[in-house]
Amino acid sequence: MLKNVMTCTGVAVLFIASNFCVAQQPVASADSTFRESLNSYCVTCHNDTLKTAGLSLQHADMENVGVDGAIWEKVLRKLKARAMPPAGMPRPDEAFYNDFAAYLEMNLDRYASKYPHPGIPDLRRLNRTEYINSVRDLLAVDVNGESLLPADNALSGFDNMGAVLTISPLLVEQYLAAARKVRIVALGDPDMHPGYDYYTVSNELMQEDRMSEELPFGSRGGIAIKHHFPMDGEYVIQVSLLKNYRDYIRGLVNKPHQLDIRLDGERLSQFSIGGEKYGKTAQLFSTAAQGDFDQEEYERYADKALEIRFSAKAGTRLVTVAFLKETTIPEDPLYPRHTVYDYSQYKGGEPGVRTVAIGGPFNAQGLGNTASRDKVFICDPVASNDEKCAHKILTILAHQAFRRPPTAEEMRELLGFYNQGQREHGFEAGIGTAIERILAGPEFLFLAERVPEDAVAGDVYRISDMELATRLSLFLWSSIPDDELRSLAESGRLSQPEVMQQQVRRMLDDPRSNSLTNNFAAQWLNLGKLNIVDPDIELFPYFEDNLRQAFQTETKLFFEYIFRNDRPLLELLNADYTFVNERLAKHYGIPDIYGNHFRKVSLVNLPRGGLLGQGSILTVTSYANRTAPTIRGKWVLENILSAPPPPPPPNIPGLRDKNDDGKVLNMRERMEQHRANPACASCHKVMDPLGFALENFDAIGRWRTLDTASNTTIDASGSLPDGTAFTGFDGLRKVLLEKRRDDFVLTVVEKMLTYALGRELGHSDAPAMRSIIRETAPDYQLSSIIKSVVNSTPFLMRRAPGRDDL
Amino acid sequence: MMIFRKAIPRRTFLRGAGAAIALPFLDSMFPAFALPDQQASAARRFSIVFAPNGMNMKDWTPADTGRSYNLSPTLAPLATYKDKMLVLSGLNNNEGDAWPGEGETAPHERAGGVFLTGVHPLREGRTGISIDQIIAGELGKHTQLASLELGLHTSDSVGNCEKGWSCAYISTLSWRTPTTPLPIEYRPRAVFERLFGDSTDPAVRLARIHKEKSILDSVTDATLRMKKSLGGGDRNRLTEFLDGVREAEHRIQMAEQQTGEQLPAMEPPTGIPSEFADHLKLMFDLQVLAFQTDMTRMITFMTGPEQSNRTYPEIGVRDVHHSLSHHRNDPVNLEKLSRINLYHSQLLTYYLDKLNATPDVDGSLLDNMIIMYGCSMSDGNGHVLQNLPMLLIGGGTGQLKGGNHIRFNEGTPVANMYLTILDKLDIQADKFGDSNGRLNLLSLA
Repeated sequence: MLKNVMTCTGVAVLFIASNFCVAQQPVASADSTFRESLNSYCVTCHNDTLKTAGLSLQHADMENVGVDGAIWEKVLRKLKARAMPPAGMPRPDEAFYNDFAAYLEMNLDRYASKYPHPGIPDLRRLNRTEYINSVRDLLAVDVNGESLLPADNALSGFDNMGAVLTISPLLVEQYLAAARKVRIVALGDPDMHPGYDYYTVSNELMQEDRMSEELPFGSRGGIAIKHHFPMDGEYVIQVSLLKNYRDYIRGLVNKPHQLDIRLDGERLSQFSIGGEKYGKTAQLFSTAAQGDFDQEEYERYADKALEIRFSAKAGTRLVTVAFLKETTIPEDPLYPRHTVYDYSQYKGGEPGVRTVAIGGPFNAQGLGNTASRDKVFICDPVASNDEKCAHKILTILAHQAFRRPPTAEEMRELLGFYNQGQREHGFEAGIGTAIERILAGPEFLFLAERVPEDAVAGDVYRISDMELATRLSLFLWSSIPDDELRSLAESGRLSQPEVMQQQVRRMLDDPRSNSLTNNFAAQWLNLGKLNIVDPDIELFPYFEDNLRQAFQTETKLFFEYIFRNDRPLLELLNADYTFVNERLAKHYGIPDIYGNHFRKVSLVNLPRGGLLGQGSILTVTSYANRTAPTIRGKWVLENILSAPPPPPPPNIPGLRDKNDDGKVLNMRERMEQHRANPACASCHKVMDPLGFALENFDAIGRWRTLDTASNTTIDASGSLPDGTAFTGFDGLRKVLLEKRRDDFVLTVVEKMLTYALGRELGHSDAPAMRSIIRETAPDYQLSSIIKSVVNSTPFLMRRAPGRDDL
Repeated sequence: MMIFRKAIPRRTFLRGAGAAIALPFLDSMFPAFALPDQQASAARRFSIVFAPNGMNMKDWTPADTGRSYNLSPTLAPLATYKDKMLVLSGLNNNEGDAWPGEGETAPHERAGGVFLTGVHPLREGRTGISIDQIIAGELGKHTQLASLELGLHTSDSVGNCEKGWSCAYISTLSWRTPTTPLPIEYRPRAVFERLFGDSTDPAVRLARIHKEKSILDSVTDATLRMKKSLGGGDRNRLTEFLDGVREAEHRIQMAEQQTGEQLPAMEPPTGIPSEFADHLKLMFDLQVLAFQTDMTRMITFMTGPEQSNRTYPEIGVRDVHHSLSHHRNDPVNLEKLSRINLYHSQLLTYYLDKLNATPDVDGSLLDNMIIMYGCSMSDGNGHVLQNLPMLLIGGGTGQLKGGNHIRFNEGTPVANMYLTILDKLDIQADKFGDSNGRLNLLSLA
């Protein structure tokens, strides 16, 4: 079952420099081979008296290293990173590093395969994403999670970590409220009051082109909305347009514009709006000028006429609101986003959509046929109280929601809820009440894994097939298992290697596995932070929401491409292609790209390629007004090199932008001053050079050769802690690929395993990580890593908690 | 329920649980009366109504002071309430003035940031805890919602605020902490749902309460079953969950006891009225309802954001309010500005009339409340933060007596008034913001 059988070749692939395998037959005593070097290079600090960093190697057992895994895994990591002894202290030769590392690794792994130590994931609840996805799969409804539940805390960069998925009284109440709202959306509510939903377009989004694939061809600006129409009935759409701060509709006066409103692609209405319809207008850029009286009114309130009433069937439908594109296309779509002055005083440009309000249902005709009603009501009740039909419906729902067959006791309770609702408002209300109970209950919300009855503390055992199914679906889909996965688990076949392999393939082919991009990759690469960065508008007037979105899309498409096409993992760092639309191409200086859709482009001969050249990452690692080499360096350490630096000490002085004599310092000079402080230097020495190599990218990822603030040429040279020098983006990339590729692979494996398990990793997970790395060499494709993760000890197994675990 | 009485260990806070205790008040799931002390004596309540862009002070300030003062033109619509109203002149937002070296930028941001805090606001969004939140911390102990922050504008004001300044200074006045502004809610339906859920109908509310109660009972049983079947280490999280369920049950029981009370019937509002006055009145209706049902005792209401650019075609003013407030002493502009100020006074009477007509212990809601009406600046032309237009209306449970125009000594911080209001609300405090004393409101003689 465990595949981490040690082979010499496996070691040799990873640690090219090692000649350990050749030298080790027969095995000499480790103590005699390594003790002397250990004593002279390590034990001088790490001894029983000094215990530097809480570690003593003075009497550590070098023969049975697996027993002291906590110590030796730490040593191994430092050896492989060449991070110890600290700079300035005498170092052993390369052979010692390689041989001792290989020895430790082999023995730690051997021990782990003999005595697996899989860890104990915390009992955890579904996080918000998983809740929303599970509800989607259970009831065929799309609900907006952000309005239902609070965001979850994150740990180690991910929001599915059991240790911080806490529960407050408020959350319990929100679960109750969410259950109710989900029930109403799924089944409809004959007594519902009409209400409005508001969809807003950011006023920092330039609406110069077709905005999404869901909008009609030939459209400009606007918004595509997937709106849930809760009942058959009449609805109202009201559109308000983008206004400047003096309340003038922007871009209204030059000529009439056509606004097109559609429901599922069918035109509901086309409005003609704009022009000097009621008199003369005042100048476009003004703080106080007034045109003719009625025209003034028109320019402020013309959008009040943008209202239509129409009939719609219940269900989730696509509403699009967009302008028809005029034949005159602006030559250069790069407009600065609105400055304060522009926003407050300019009423020219092109009109844009600001808010779309969808209201209803008015004159409701009935609940209609929706996907969720079809999914829930699988039988027709023969009477208003058909308990048999209710039993059938609820058994299926509970089975899926609980990820196991409901017990007789549970079914009795659910039918009790059915009866309670049924008595008051009939069959459907009864089902609805029971659904609320399912969604608010611990059987659905908690991912409980049972300890076998006969297990004693510390016992290691395989999790059940049903628990495995849930782990798989949460990892690969961020949702609950579907029928196929569940029935394989219930018949006990899921754990058969070929069945499991076939299921993983199927799950990765399913669109639900997009969660690996949208949750795993987006969280690993900090893409969420892109939503809150706010580059200085005066320094970066062209940074608007279109670019913000393009950055996000580029990185997601890039990850998705490498993942779906089984490209070698290292292409994440060195690909010579990326994905751009016209806006992003302009930003990167790639010519001849037109239109708003993304396409794959070659980057040959351009100083980009790979994650480190992408605007998303370069922007989230910058300040609003300048680059931040330290943050970029730290990002590389954490997300590429698996070597996060320790947190900074308190009371750090800020960087000085001028010298004592008033000379404006460039970034490198400022940082060098900062590093003159020895307390700062120890970490900055490691972080900064990595960030300096990226200095040719400005704070929003544009290529530059001049630091405009100090008017000096960019110096993008840097070095690794071991002294390896490099220059610029290309140089850094080359060094990372040549010298640190193992670290990058380890980082990805570490992040993936953390996300898959929903817990922080410990030293006892290190053998599993090494095993995954060996199994997926030499290309380490993401899909291979995923397959290896789900076959790893910590994913398949569990340990019964002992006294140490409480 | 037998099992439920078993001692359940106190909640064990694990890593990250700190965030869970920061939100003691409900998101309105359990609409209820909480009138525990109303039987004995009236509840103390405070209501802030804010108007943007200052006033035309010439038409606002009554010419004379003292009990026999005559109402000014702008205050004329409030004649009915002259005896229940104090006009306070000479109060100042001194801390809002720019510090030396700060530059004179962002006057409206400064005004909004200092108004309810008495603390000098910093660019990036750091000021002090606002007076309404101090009050909410105390009065909110008795109610389901500690406070409401309401307005008529979206808090989306990207681009409206001065470069580099927190936009929160423009769009809200309430600060839960010096760095946590509270967004205002402008959608009537959302306010209604926070207060009452779907309906004010007692039968509907009771049915929902019963349903939720039985769900929670069953969830408790299921959680205990699950807990029993799990190993020791896993139980902590379930204990947390059980504690949450138990608190929810407690709130529901409270709500159940109170559904016997007669709730004023009100249909849930559908959308956002497109006319200013309709929107404003609907928000006033909801505030009266919130006080009447004792869902909260502290409401801050902005009739517009700082630097509001509303036009008022319904009273013939088609110019932007903010532009008019920079009147440059042009009589035409001043007249229009006064017309807007007067219109706001008229609309305020709608609120006062309703409060006056709503019975409460020993009188009406108006008799027991304190309503503060005012601006964060006086003359908008120069963004003057001194001599603010300010009214206190209502009986304050017998603590406040109106019928007076009082002018305070030069330099008196408006924070002195807040400190005095805290006294009237029985909230202990020695200092608030830049206060340097209390006001003598001459009203308890």
